[in-house]
Parts: sequence; C-alpha cells; structure tokens
Amino acid sequence: MSRYWKPLGFAVLVLAVVLAPFLSSNYRTYQLGFVAIYLIALSGLDILTGFTGQISLGHGAFMGIGAYTTTILVVDHHWRDLWTIPVAGLVAGLIGIAFGLPATRFAGPYLALATFAIPLSFIGILKRFPRFTGGNVGKNLPQLHSELGWHTNPSIWFYVVTWVVALVMFPLAFLVVRGRFGRALRGVRDSEIASTAYGVSTASVKTAAFGISAFFCGVAGALYAIGITYVNPDTFPIDLSILLIVGIVVGGAGSLWGMVFGALFVEFIRISWGPSILTLFAKAHHVNTHAPGSGLVVYGVVLLFVLYVAPAGFAGLVRRLVTGRSALAAWAKPGAPTPGDPATGAEGP
Amino acid sequence: MKKTFLLIAVALVASTVVVMTAGAVTAKSILLEGTFPLSGPASGYAPIPSGMGAYFSYVNAKGGVNGRKINWHFEDDGYNPANTVQITHKFVEQDHAFALVGGLGTEPQLAVRQYLNDNKVPQLFVSTGATTFDRDYAQYPWTLGWQPDYEGEGAIYGKYIAKNLASAKIGILYQNDDYGNDYLRGFKAGLTAQHNPQIVDAEPYDLSATTPPAVQVAKLKGSGADTFVIFATPTPTIQAYVISTKLGWHPAHVFTNSVSATDPFLTIAAQSGSDNVEGTISVNYGLDPSNPIYNKSPGMKLYRSIMAKYDPKGNVNDPLNLYGVSKAWNTVQVLSKAGRNLTRAGLMKAARNMLYSDKTKNADPFGLPGIRIFTKGNYQYPISQVTLVKYTNHTFQPFGGIINGRGA
Repeated sequence: MSRYWKPLGFAVLVLAVVLAPFLSSNYRTYQLGFVAIYLIALSGLDILTGFTGQISLGHGAFMGIGAYTTTILVVDHHWRDLWTIPVAGLVAGLIGIAFGLPATRFAGPYLALATFAIPLSFIGILKRFPRFTGGNVGKNLPQLHSELGWHTNPSIWFYVVTWVVALVMFPLAFLVVRGRFGRALRGVRDSEIASTAYGVSTASVKTAAFGISAFFCGVAGALYAIGITYVNPDTFPIDLSILLIVGIVVGGAGSLWGMVFGALFVEFIRISWGPSILTLFAKAHHVNTHAPGSGLVVYGVVLLFVLYVAPAGFAGLVRRLVTGRSALAAWAKPGAPTPGDPATGAEGP
Repeated sequence: MKKTFLLIAVALVASTVVVMTAGAVTAKSILLEGTFPLSGPASGYAPIPSGMGAYFSYVNAKGGVNGRKINWHFEDDGYNPANTVQITHKFVEQDHAFALVGGLGTEPQLAVRQYLNDNKVPQLFVSTGATTFDRDYAQYPWTLGWQPDYEGEGAIYGKYIAKNLASAKIGILYQNDDYGNDYLRGFKAGLTAQHNPQIVDAEPYDLSATTPPAVQVAKLKGSGADTFVIFATPTPTIQAYVISTKLGWHPAHVFTNSVSATDPFLTIAAQSGSDNVEGTISVNYGLDPSNPIYNKSPGMKLYRSIMAKYDPKGNVNDPLNLYGVSKAWNTVQVLSKAGRNLTRAGLMKAARNMLYSDKTKNADPFGLPGIRIFTKGNYQYPISQVTLVKYTNHTFQPFGGIINGRGA
C-alpha cells in the first residue's frame, strides 16, 4: 500500500497546482507563486536540518545570494531572467560548500551560532560594495513579462515559472534523501559515531548537505528576486532565515511533504492570515490593531498554537491521524514521541 | 480535535474575507491604502498613519470629499521591501485601492515605484525625503513626494553656514547611504565651492553597524571642528549627542537634520547626559505640538481637537501625528480638487498643480505660518519651504523667516 502513497501525493500536488490559478484571484495566484518559492527553499533546508540534523540560522542569506546573482546578471549583464535561475543556484551552492567545509567542525548550538554569521556578514558585504550590489538603495529588476509566445497576466506567469521550477526541485529533494546518500544523511543525524564506524565520512556528508541546501535556497532566491522585482539589504533580513526554520518546524522537520504546509504557513501567516485574525479580533474587542507590533503578537500566538497542537509539525499531525493515534492524546501530552518524529529518529519522509 | 480544526478553518476562511469594497472608487467611497513600518527598526514612525486616519475620520464625519467617504486602510511592512511589494500587490489587485498614499521609507517605496507606475496607480505623497521621488517625475508620472527633500534641506544648512559662520570649521557625521549622501550633496552645494574647504572632516557610519558611531565622533573631535553637522537617523543622532559630550567635545554649533531633530528625540539625548543639545539648529515646516507658542493658532487647536476625538490614544505632542494629519489634509485637498468625476489621472493632475499658501488663503492649517505647498510644471517639490529653528529651553524656536532649499 505504502508504495502508492508517493506517486499519489505527487499526482494530487500537480493537480492542485494546475487547478489553483483557475480558482484564485490574480493576487492569490501571485501569492501562491511565493508558496512555490518557499517550498523550494524549505525542501533544501529540510535536507540539511531535518535529514542531516544540522541547524542553520543563515539560509535566508543563501536566498539573498541567489537573488543578487539573478539581479546583477539581469540588470547589469542583460541576461534573460529565466536563464539566471540555475546560475543563482550554483553560485549559492558553491558558497554553501565553501561555508560547509569549516562549519562541519561545529556541532549543535555551536553550528547554529556559526551559521548565524552568514546573514550578518552578507548584509555587511552588500553595503561594502555598493557599485556591485547597489548598496542600501539596492536594484530594481524589470517587471516580469510572459515569454515563449504566451501572453498572460504577470501574476499568472510568475505562478507558472515558480511552480514549474518547484515541481522540478521538490522531487529532486526526494531523490537526494533516498538510497545510500539519504541513509548517510540520517546516519549523521542520528549518530555520528555509528556512521563513522560504518565508513561514512561525516564531514563530507555534512558539507554536501550544506551545498545542496544552499543550491535549493539559491534557486528560491532567484525566483524571489524575480517576484519582488527589487533587492536591497533590507529584503534579506535575519528574520528571513528564522522564518525558514519556522517553516521547517511547522511543516515537520524530516518530512518533505510537510514542507508544502510549511511553505503555505510562512507565506500566508504574515501577509494574509495574521492581518485577518487581527481584524476579526479588533471587530470583536474594539482594540487598536495598528499598535506597533500587534501583527507580530498574532504571528507568535498562532505559531505557539500550531506547535502545541502539532509538536512534530503538520507532517507529524497528519501521520498521527493516519496511523490512528488519537490526536486528543496529543492534546493531552504535547511533545510525546510520534512515529517519524526526528527526535525518535524514526524513518523519513 | 474538532475544536482545533474549527479554529484552523476559521483562520483559513478569515484569510479570504479580507476583500474590501471592490472598485477603485464608488459613488459613496474612496479606498486609500498605504504601507508603514508598524514593527521592526523603523516602527517609531507608526504614529504617521494613525494621524492620517484621524484626519480622514474627521473629514468623513463632515460628509467626506465631494460626497464620498474616505476608506483608509494601512498595513505593516516592517520596513522590508519584500513585504511592501507583496502588500502593494494586494492593495492594487485584490483591494483595488484608488490610490496609495503616504507609503513610508525610501527603499520600500523604490521597490514598488515601477509596479505602481506600470499599473497607473497613484503613489502619492510618499513619506520619505529622497530627492528621486520629486526629481524623477517625468519617468514616474504616478509618483510624488511631499516633505522637503533631503538634498534641499542639506543646502539650507550649507547656505546658512556660508553666510553666518564663514570661519567655522565643519565636521560632518553622515549615514553611509542614499539618505546621508543626499544631505551631504545638498550641503556642499549650499555651502558653495568657495566655502567647501571649511569642511575639515566628514565621517560616514553604517545604519547596520551594531555599535554607536563613537570612532567617527572621536575623529571629528580630533579634526579640530567647532561646528558639528549630523545627517543621521534618530538613534545614531541621539548616540552622537551623548558620545560627543562624553568625549568632552563641545562644538560651538550643532546642526541636525529635521528627521531626527524633534523634541522627543532631543529630550532623550539630553536625559542621556548630553549637554550639546541646547542651541541645535534644524529646520521645520509643520506646527510643533511641543512648542507652546503655537497653542493659540487655529491649526493647532484643530489638530488637538481632531486627535482628542479620533485618535485619543495617540500622543498628541508627537510631531509625527501632526505630520500625518497635515499629509491627510493635503490628500483631501487634491481629492476635492480632482472633482466629482474622480479618476486616478485627475488626482495626479491636481497633485501636480498645487498651490496652498497664505497668499491664496488656502494654506495648510497644520503647516508653519508662511509655508506654501507648491507644484507646477517641472517643479515637483511639494514642500520645499522651511524655516530655521533653534533648540532653546527644551523647544525648537523658529528664527529668520521662510527659506527655500531649492532656491525657488
């Protein structure tokens, strides 16, 4: 039975992707394009964090590197925007490997702290070379326009581009985490000593995972720049890296399917659901919804709520429902180990 | 569990209910929207949209503009251009805003300028003084600034020093980006080439720097400067005041750009131990709620009554609220002038041909007496007149009449 799950899952995803623009407004379609971008970034980061057990607080910067690669190639070297996407991924991937080499010497919280340096120095470097990067003012990309003889609205074209790339990258992530290499990743996560004993070079595996995840984030960043049509240092704040980790946790670390939920969550909670909940709340209680930071409070409360209901992310919640474990029990005992929970090291996606 | 799903379902449904009154403008309402930093490092500017809302409510209570009520809606972009872009798409494509008004921040507004111009949606009275929003009107016909541009303001300090302090030795602290460089460029132009050698040192600092600009201030002191010019955002400005005092540097004259030179900020600097605050020279163009000399002016009375009724939780003494009220006043003027048959093009036409002054008896009641708001033809700098102010006994006192940084 279980071997039919994956193809079925992909079929449902593809069907949803094809149907969504017919059911959504232009603006929703544009937003769903960003969901594709986050899906790519989260899938990449999940390979590193969920499967290899290496926490990174710096992958927003790899999105930034991809975005700047695309912007500089398009604006200063007049490339076609679509051709820059793989280049952006490669540039970010190479920098990811370069960073992964020394970073693999750190473990646990030390690694997290070391990765925190990436977005910090990235912003500094952007400002240091204003001729190259545009400095604080940044650079404007031309508005996206449809190609290949197809004339459509920019939002729909953006959706098509992002989801075509996402439907290539997402299965690619599944390929990465299967087989020998996938087992090596999980081995490093669960026990480095045991992995070494079995002949796995933990340093190479970690470095490779770093590079692959950075490649995914670079591709996502390229699409991000194309969608926003603008980059500057404020576009890639440290919050973006934290947001990616939030997406991983909410989606369910160690589950690639969970990243679909994670991507929906990080896109919609801030831009759509947060303000809506705030508006509803304000109507009921006559409070000032425009008090500084009130949006962040809603975001925080929703996040806590989600983690309370689904401590192993959406993926864990679904798994619990499918395996018939009473979700009510999860209410009563949040944090209880669940099948497939990365904490217990149970098998993968 | 049912409860959980119910709550999640409510959240999902809520996300689709946000749709506001559709259509750019109806017989009964006009939808105006804007992005502002209500969170993050620039959230200090949050009073501006509240002040605007207070004035719009006041106008609505009096019957609106040409029979239409103004529907004012703003959202938090956290000063992150990526958020600004997505929210602006929502305003345009989902809410069908008639115009975007007062959007805050140079970079966030640069990020959406091309998009709004492509879609022919007015990007009116942006809340930034970056010169490009005024100067590049031909390339971006749907975009217009409002407040004095940074370059023009810088020129005023330059001219003042060239004329009154011809022997001063000038040390400048400036933010190392467009903002600081706009000021610096204007300052040097106003000072004229003849007086440029008076600048003995100019030290840049990074907004992203995690430490206060202590090294820069120490270098400025060491350069022998006796006139301290600060072109910085509020926090580094306060730090510069405190550091200069701690280093024992007491420049004879201090100039601070208007963004940072408000009574609340200078009070913080003074309370943090700076004795260089007194005598600070800056410029202003709006009534100053913290200066009692304006308490009897009709504009200030109106401002206080509007705030008391429509934004009672706001700090009435914060000049940012008055800035918002004043900007909303101007928005209502151009909407009204654009006529009963309101179109986006008509609104821009009205905004490109403004004259609100004492002479024409229609001056901004919330502006300083004598200040005019003027745009015409190739002159698209709405507020370019200001008056010099000097910080004396905990308030800014105006002196020396009305001047124009743009020489027009």
